[in-house]
Amino acid sequence: MVESFQLLMGGFVTALQPVNLLFALMGCVLGTLIGVLPGVGPAAGTAILIPITVVLDPTAAIIMLAAIYYGAMYGGTITSVLINTPGEAASVITCLDGYQMAKQGRAGPALAIAAIGSFIGGTVATLGLVLIALPLTRFALRFGPPEFFALMVVGLSLVTGLAGKSLVRALISAILGLLIAQIGIDPVMGAPRFTFGKMELLDGFGIVPVVMGLFGIGEILLNAEARTQQVFDTRVSSLIPTTQDLKTSAGPIARGTALGFFLGLIPGIGAIVPTFLAYSVEKRVSKTPEKFGTGMIEGVAGPETANNAYANAALIPLFTLGIPSSPTTAILMGAFMMNGLIPGPALFKEHGEFAWAVIASLYIGNLILVILNLPFIPLWVQVLKIPYSILMTLVLGFSVVGVYSLNSSAFDIGVMLVFGFVGYLFKKLDIPTAPLVLTMVLGPLMERGLRQSLEMSRGDFSILFTRPISAALLAIAVIVILTSTLRAISAVRGADSQV
Amino acid sequence: MRRPYQIVGGCLLLLATFVAVEALALKYYTKLGPGPGFFSFWLALLLGGLALTMIIQASVGTPEPRPADFFADRIGYLRMGAVVLALVGTTALLDVLGFRLTMFAVYVFLLCALGRQRLLLTLGIALAGSVGVYHVFDRWLRVPLPTGPFGF
Repeated sequence: MVESFQLLMGGFVTALQPVNLLFALMGCVLGTLIGVLPGVGPAAGTAILIPITVVLDPTAAIIMLAAIYYGAMYGGTITSVLINTPGEAASVITCLDGYQMAKQGRAGPALAIAAIGSFIGGTVATLGLVLIALPLTRFALRFGPPEFFALMVVGLSLVTGLAGKSLVRALISAILGLLIAQIGIDPVMGAPRFTFGKMELLDGFGIVPVVMGLFGIGEILLNAEARTQQVFDTRVSSLIPTTQDLKTSAGPIARGTALGFFLGLIPGIGAIVPTFLAYSVEKRVSKTPEKFGTGMIEGVAGPETANNAYANAALIPLFTLGIPSSPTTAILMGAFMMNGLIPGPALFKEHGEFAWAVIASLYIGNLILVILNLPFIPLWVQVLKIPYSILMTLVLGFSVVGVYSLNSSAFDIGVMLVFGFVGYLFKKLDIPTAPLVLTMVLGPLMERGLRQSLEMSRGDFSILFTRPISAALLAIAVIVILTSTLRAISAVRGADSQV
Repeated sequence: MRRPYQIVGGCLLLLATFVAVEALALKYYTKLGPGPGFFSFWLALLLGGLALTMIIQASVGTPEPRPADFFADRIGYLRMGAVVLALVGTTALLDVLGFRLTMFAVYVFLLCALGRQRLLLTLGIALAGSVGVYHVFDRWLRVPLPTGPFGF
C-alpha cells in the first residue's frame, strides 16, 4: 500500500505540472458542457474531442479525456435538475426529485449537493483505484493468451447485464459488434476480411466514427424527427445548501459512494444501474418514502454520488485489466491505443509514470469540478437557452470535424452517417447500443487471445480449461450467462402469466 | 411492434447467411488452429440463431405496444432528411470543395432547414463553424483539414 501511495505522489508531481493542470481544467469544462447539451452523451462527446488531444503529449491527452468523461457525468445532472432532460443516461433518475426541487426554487441546493456528492464519490472511488491497482495488475501479469481470452469472455458475458427489456436484442447488438470488429486485416494471418476490395476497410471501422454515429448522429436524427425545441424557464436561486440539506444528504452520499464503487468494478453494469439502485436504496431507508418524487434532496444526493463513484471506479477494470466497462471507457481505451498505450497489467509496468499521473489527475479533476461547477451554473443556463436547432447544427459540425481529422478521411464521415442510422433504428426498436460498442472493442482482443492460445496448444481447445485461472474465469462467464438467461426466461414467463 | 421485429429479424437472418457464406470462403482452420474465417462463421451462426429467435418471439409472444412516437410526421422526416443530406453532401464534397466552403454551405443549409434563424446569426454561425474551426484546427492545433481548388 505504501508503494502505491509513493507512486501516486510521483503521479501528482506530473499531474500538477501547469500544462497538465490546464488540460485537466479544459477537460472538466468541456466535459460539463457535453453533459449539459442534451443529445451529446459522454461517449460521443469524448469521441468528438479526441482529435483535439491528438497533438498533445499522451499524458496530457488522456488527462484531458478522462476529465471530459467524469465532467460529462456531472454536466448531465445540470439539465436533469434545470429542464427535466437528462444530459446523459446516468442522470435520468435525478430528474425525479432534482427537477421538483428546481420547480420549488431549490435548483441551487440540488446542484450543489450533486456537486459535493459527486466529488466525494469520485474521490473515494479513485482512492479505491490506488489501493487495488497494483495487486490486481500483479495478478493479471500472470495471464497468458488463454487467461486473456477467458477474461475477455467474462467481459463479453457481462454485456448481458446491459440488456434492457430483451436479452435477445442485447445479444444481437453484441454479436453485431463482434462482426463489425471482424472487418479488416485478420490479426493473426494478415488476410483481409470483409473488405470487399476497399482500401478504407483494411483497418476496419474506427471506434470513433462508430460511436459518434451511434450516440451522436443517431440522437440528432431522433431529435430532428421529433422537432425538439429547447425552452428553458426555470429560476435558479441561491446555490448554497442549508445545514439541514447537508445533514440529510450525508447518509445518501455515503451509501451512494459504496454502491457506485462496487458496481463500477464489474464491467458491463452500465452507469444507469448504480443510480437507479441508489435511488431505490434511499427510498427504502427513508422514513418518508412516499415523498420521493416531490423534491427530496436524498433523491439527488444518492444517485449523483453513485454516478460519479461508478464513473471513477469503472476506470479500475480499464486500467488494470484492459476491460472497458462502458462505451465511454471503450472510447478512452481507443484513445490510449491511439497514443501507443495498451490499457491492462502491462500499463503500470511499462508506462507507470503515465498511469499514476492520470490517476492523480482524477483527484485534481474532481476537485476542479466541485470548485468550478457551481460558479459556472449561470453560464450553463445560458447555453440551455440556445435554440435546439442551433445546438444540433453545431454538434453535427463538430462531429464532422472530429471524425474527419482523425484519419483525414471523408469515408469516416460516411461511416458515421451509416452508424447514425443504426443508432436511430436501435433506439426505435429498443435495442441497446452499448453491447455493440463494447464487443467491437473487446472482439479483436478476444479473437487474438483464442487464436494465440490454440497456436500454443497446436489446436487443442483443452488449454482453455486445464489452466486454473482460465478455467475459473470461463466458469464465471458461464454462470453470468446462465443467470442472465434464467432471469430473461422468468421475465418472459411472468409477462405471459399476466396476460 | 410485431411487424418491425419480424422485418429486422429477417434482415439479420439474411446478413447472417451472407456473413457465413463469406466466412467459409476464407480459411476456416489451419495447421496452427482457427483461420480468418473461424470466428466470423460462428458469429454468423449465432446471429442467425438470435435473428430466428427474434422472429419467433415477435410472431408467437404477446407483441410489445408500439410507442406513440414510433413514426414521425412528414415534417419530422423532412428534417431528418435534411440532416442525412447534409452529411451525404459533406462526405461527397469535403475533399472536392475544401473544408471551409463545404462546412459553410452545410451550416447555412442546416440552420435554414432545422429552424429558421436571423440571416446575420445564420451567417455568423456558419462562418465561425467553417472558417473559425478551420483556423483553430489547421493553424493552432496543426490538425490538417482539406483545402479546395479556390484556396478555401
